[in-house]
Amino acid sequence: MATTLDAPPIVPAEIEHMSGRMAGIWNSFILRRLLKALFTAFVVVTLTFFLIRLLPSSPIELFIQELMVQYSMPYHQARDQAAALFAIDLDQPLILQYFDYLGGLLRGDLGTSILSPGTPVTSFIKRFLPWTIFSVGLALIISFTTGVILGLVMAYRREGWIDHILTVIASILSAIPNYIFGILLIIWLGVRWGVVPVAQMRGSLSPGVHPGFTLYFLKDALFHAALPITAYVLTTVGTWMLTMKSSTISVLEEDYVTVARAKGLTESRITTAYVGRNASLPLFTLLAISIGFVVGGSVLIETIFQYQGIGYVLLQAINRRDYVVMQGVFLIITLSVIFANFFADMLYSWVDPRIKFGSQE
Amino acid sequence: MNMFTQAFSSLGVTLRIMSYNKVGFAGFLMVIFIVLVSFVGPYFVPLDSETKVDQIFQPPSAQYWFGTDHQGRDIFSHIVNGGKDVIIVAVIAATLSTLIAVTFGTFSGFAGGRTDAVIMAITDIMLTIPQLPLLLILASLLQFENIASLGLLLGFLNWPSLLRAVRSQALSLKERDFVEAARALDLGAPHIIFREIVPNMMTYIIISFALAMTGAIYAQVALVLFGLVPFSGSNWGVMLSLAWVRGAIFFKDSIWYIMMPIAAIVLLQLSVVTTTRSLELVFNPRLRSGE
Amino acid sequence: MSTTEAVFVDRIAATDKPPLSLRNVHISYQSRKGPVQAVRGIDLDLRAGESLSLIGESGSGKTTLGLGIVRLLVKTATLTDGEILYRRDGTEVDVGELDARRLREFRWRECAMVFQSALNSFNPVLRVWNQMYDTAKAHGWSDKRAVRAHVLDLLRFVQLDAERVIDAYPHELSGGMRQRVLIAMSLLLDPQVLILDEPTTALDILTQRTIIDLLRRLKQEQHLTMLFISHDLAIAAELANRIATMYAGRIVEIGSAEDIFYRPRHPYTLGLIRAVPKVTGDFEDLASIPGSPPDLIDLPSGCKFHPRCPFATKKCVEEEPELEAVGVDHAAACWHWQKVEAELAVNPLHQSRARLPEVGASPLDGSVADLSNATTQVGEV
Repeated sequence: MATTLDAPPIVPAEIEHMSGRMAGIWNSFILRRLLKALFTAFVVVTLTFFLIRLLPSSPIELFIQELMVQYSMPYHQARDQAAALFAIDLDQPLILQYFDYLGGLLRGDLGTSILSPGTPVTSFIKRFLPWTIFSVGLALIISFTTGVILGLVMAYRREGWIDHILTVIASILSAIPNYIFGILLIIWLGVRWGVVPVAQMRGSLSPGVHPGFTLYFLKDALFHAALPITAYVLTTVGTWMLTMKSSTISVLEEDYVTVARAKGLTESRITTAYVGRNASLPLFTLLAISIGFVVGGSVLIETIFQYQGIGYVLLQAINRRDYVVMQGVFLIITLSVIFANFFADMLYSWVDPRIKFGSQE
Repeated sequence: MNMFTQAFSSLGVTLRIMSYNKVGFAGFLMVIFIVLVSFVGPYFVPLDSETKVDQIFQPPSAQYWFGTDHQGRDIFSHIVNGGKDVIIVAVIAATLSTLIAVTFGTFSGFAGGRTDAVIMAITDIMLTIPQLPLLLILASLLQFENIASLGLLLGFLNWPSLLRAVRSQALSLKERDFVEAARALDLGAPHIIFREIVPNMMTYIIISFALAMTGAIYAQVALVLFGLVPFSGSNWGVMLSLAWVRGAIFFKDSIWYIMMPIAAIVLLQLSVVTTTRSLELVFNPRLRSGE
Repeated sequence: MSTTEAVFVDRIAATDKPPLSLRNVHISYQSRKGPVQAVRGIDLDLRAGESLSLIGESGSGKTTLGLGIVRLLVKTATLTDGEILYRRDGTEVDVGELDARRLREFRWRECAMVFQSALNSFNPVLRVWNQMYDTAKAHGWSDKRAVRAHVLDLLRFVQLDAERVIDAYPHELSGGMRQRVLIAMSLLLDPQVLILDEPTTALDILTQRTIIDLLRRLKQEQHLTMLFISHDLAIAAELANRIATMYAGRIVEIGSAEDIFYRPRHPYTLGLIRAVPKVTGDFEDLASIPGSPPDLIDLPSGCKFHPRCPFATKKCVEEEPELEAVGVDHAAACWHWQKVEAELAVNPLHQSRARLPEVGASPLDGSVADLSNATTQVGEV
């Protein structure tokens, strides 16, 4: 017995290994994710370029054809104009054009709009992208939080009437396409019942209101974003609720929840720090996919509500065949999603310490 | 495991388990109903394409069950005739994306190593690109003439998330005894994938297929609604688009015109989604006990 | 009584009223097929300072009973009847009657629990320190520095590198380390009673050994009252003063560890002892109890063990026996315990050199193996 008592404490080998390099590993997790994001961005930029150039009906060729037909321009003139607008020198070999294009991107040059001559694509982005980030970001936060809380309630009240009602609602919500929700909101709230002034809510701000740190501006911005946000929230919250419910149900069966009860912790502490936090982890992995979906959907939602965000600009450009804007805006939307995914990854590594060690990579 | 395989190999048992979840089974029956109406219905309810100026925006009546549209045409006949294309496009798209997802997903999970890393990297990048903007741009560039090519494009864009799910299934199946045994016997990758792994993922594949269908319905109606695919004839998306453009929302009795295609689309989406809930029950016995 | 018994008698003599008494406790689960009678009328005193081991096959109701004492049963299980009397400093409460707030205060402060699956006993996203402090704070001890100092002491007591472990996340610790942390955590509030539910089952054999040594030290140094739930007789023998055998939700035999191992009077206990594998022995010697544990929804009539019992007669089929004294502080619930005694006289359980492991014995002296020098098969009896 004496021998066991005097024995040196067991040095946990794993800990020695990990805490020594913990900061390093965490940093390298960020680094890994950052590299992945940059690589994805590079691939997307490359794809976009070659898509535009090499597709059988490449936008440049289409545009040249259009110029020739509409303005009866000779081919070389149409071609020069196209090259100027796309910020591409069509006489160079493709690979050099590609490097020019990359160089232009790095200088922030995305070309100039075809239909609004003289307006660089970047100025569209500066003007319209913030509204999309604002409305989509706010909607995601509202939807995620609501979904987590309601999912938790559903799991705790499992098989009760609250659970049944919320499950039905969530299932229906998650099955309805977002643009149909937009149409329904306009039909019923705007036109039939007339409770919401749909026409005044168009645009991203009322005339005469300027961005600034004022309550007036904030209220107006929310007023105009309210309908898109409602549509985003209603169409995404169902999925969060159902995922959170099933995740919570499985966490409630975990031993550590029983141990937490055995330790006499308060029910509120168990619900938040033990059940809620662990049950929400799978939702963070879904966040990345959801960001892409909502941002993609913004093209339709912003058009339906005439909310002037970047999605609205994209659909207009598509409909009006403004290929330069189309290309630039698509690139920016994709890069925003890549950045948002990187952000979601960071968030996830912050809520789940295990992820930093690459064990769930 | 043996029991599992045996129990779910037969369709009868699958149907019975599906019927445990009443909502899911109702959804399944609704899917069958919609398919029947869309494919058999047109023989009994011909498309009303005659403009009747005196019958514009009529509310539902004995003659016009769902009312009339902006040209005085029978909405009911358009609903009955407008589902076929939607379903065909969805099935083509779902077939293609499921095929890609299952083939490369199982292959990726089974092969592991560098092959897996490459396939997953491609999938991750595809997953990051927002699908809908890409689809809208491609649709406008490619100028579709027929529904089959639209279905193929949708299918070609919609596989990444399915592939991830299939791969993780394949990874867990890979560790199971019967697959281990097949590998020990050196039966070769194609045998193991198509004879051992895929049959054991059948239910899962069906769920993936249904989910891919909902994605395809979502995307194609969006394309039609926003005028990016010039569809002629009758299609729920075209109806919705026309009703929206013709200002059907502003007149009291015209509401039927826009609500009917919405109801049809939502009902189809909802019943496919609820069917998958029921299928999940078949797939994951753990969920069954709780219901 | 032999010499080893005297050690236990001393401790038991110091007792006036036991800290925990179970009176006619019934617990049943609801299931689709009907109520599952997991625990059917348990009477048990947990004497101050003693270590009592509950043994039995899985499904015998031992874990349900352990969870029932701190009322941690799943929603489908209910304490249908009986009292769980807890005593401290001359006051007595029925745990079954405590309201939510007082039950919360009772848990861990008075009666802590060490669970089987230490691997999953910790919240994966909180550091060890946060989980310790959560526990202290829930019981009104929020002086962070004092708690931290105490936690460090406890981690040292369980022979961990305290400074490092305290700020580690659970996934950074091995299974054995987690079990040590859980044991340290169970001591945090200095409880009177400690329930250990299969504390070594999920661990590999070497780690089991170190945890058993730790628990033995705990027993000696902390003077806790311990209820030790196990299916492993050898471990129970090392850690317990008294042993209770459970079968089909009832205690079928209870007595000192020595009596249970050398003079079992219930055929089920006898079967369990003969089923213990020898470390050095051949597998042919290993006897298993024929048949399988009873269906708790549709229990057999009479003595629940009769379908598997070599001594069963018509009486066993008709009437369930109650516990009756078969020796000093030794009781068994069997109509034919004398026959078991007679059988043991013919086929002795342990060879001459057999001894109960002494408290504090070195793990290498082979005492585990000695417990099971059975030579006959239950089937032959």
